[in-house]
Amino acid sequence: MDLKTPLFDLSKFKNVYEPSEDTFLFLDTLEQELQLILSIKPDFVVEVGSGSGVVITALANACKNISFCLATDINSEANSATAFTAKLNNVTIESINMKYLSNFKPNIFDVVLFNPPYVVTESNEIKGTGLNRSWAGGKNGREVIDEFLKLLPNILSYKGVCYMVVIKENKLEDIHNVVVDLGLSCYIVKERKVPGEHLFVLKMYRK
Amino acid sequence: MKLLTHNMLTSKCMKGVTVGYPLKINAFDVKVSEVDFNPEFVSRIIPKLDWNVLYNAAESIGQVEDMPKSIVDDYENNTDFLKKVHRVLLEVEVINGELVCPETGRKFPISNGIPNMLLNEDEV
Repeated sequence: MDLKTPLFDLSKFKNVYEPSEDTFLFLDTLEQELQLILSIKPDFVVEVGSGSGVVITALANACKNISFCLATDINSEANSATAFTAKLNNVTIESINMKYLSNFKPNIFDVVLFNPPYVVTESNEIKGTGLNRSWAGGKNGREVIDEFLKLLPNILSYKGVCYMVVIKENKLEDIHNVVVDLGLSCYIVKERKVPGEHLFVLKMYRK
Repeated sequence: MKLLTHNMLTSKCMKGVTVGYPLKINAFDVKVSEVDFNPEFVSRIIPKLDWNVLYNAAESIGQVEDMPKSIVDDYENNTDFLKKVHRVLLEVEVINGELVCPETGRKFPISNGIPNMLLNEDEV
């Protein structure tokens, strides 16, 4: 099954992460997983930290008439960029300024996408709501990832599945153990080496 | 912000808030635009809704029209009913306004259809 790469134009949104290798790996992963995603008939699909909105727009296009798609980001310019990208591609996405999914009822999401800030940085680089928040991951690039993972059991519906991008420096084996301790299954569904980054996409769901 | 989204939003994550649901809507600018009608999707969503919250939200912004106050029996086969629900869930949109926490009165602005739910560090 094909996943159409959405049109985008970020010329009006200078403080938004521009789709890069990690974004395209994420899109390729969703294409690979699309049949499975559609087979669970997701009612509510959401992307955390949607940035340009390219990823959720691609999935929204594939899930047209099947799912209700939402997107959150703490960067208000990213919220606008996501809404703009959705409109450009003629799909409906509810864009909301929010940290993670903290203002939603628990356990409602059937598909959760997250391309987190995974770059290893100093902890004090994780501040504000600007462009730095799209990449600054603190110690081992894990500070935002770990905060999100703790919330995940209260985010996923009974049939929910979460896809998350990580890099080698995030210590995959340790992430696997953290996720399993939360009562979820965790698998690598995609892997790619690009200059400077060894990227993976993890898939997590209830056992 | 569509009313389906409103049905899912709470302010429970705020310090001192116990339920935080439903959020009150102050709508300054409401738009109704046509969205493709998919009866199968609406039927699937209805059991997941807090129906009273949906009805009251629609009523509070003057958009309930002739949607029944309760879910009708055999709604899966009632296209007329599903269309009315579809309109309220997906076609009505609050473009500018605010959401209000029922317990603290904290206001969350909605501008250009985007709610701002971001909290300050001292609020969580």
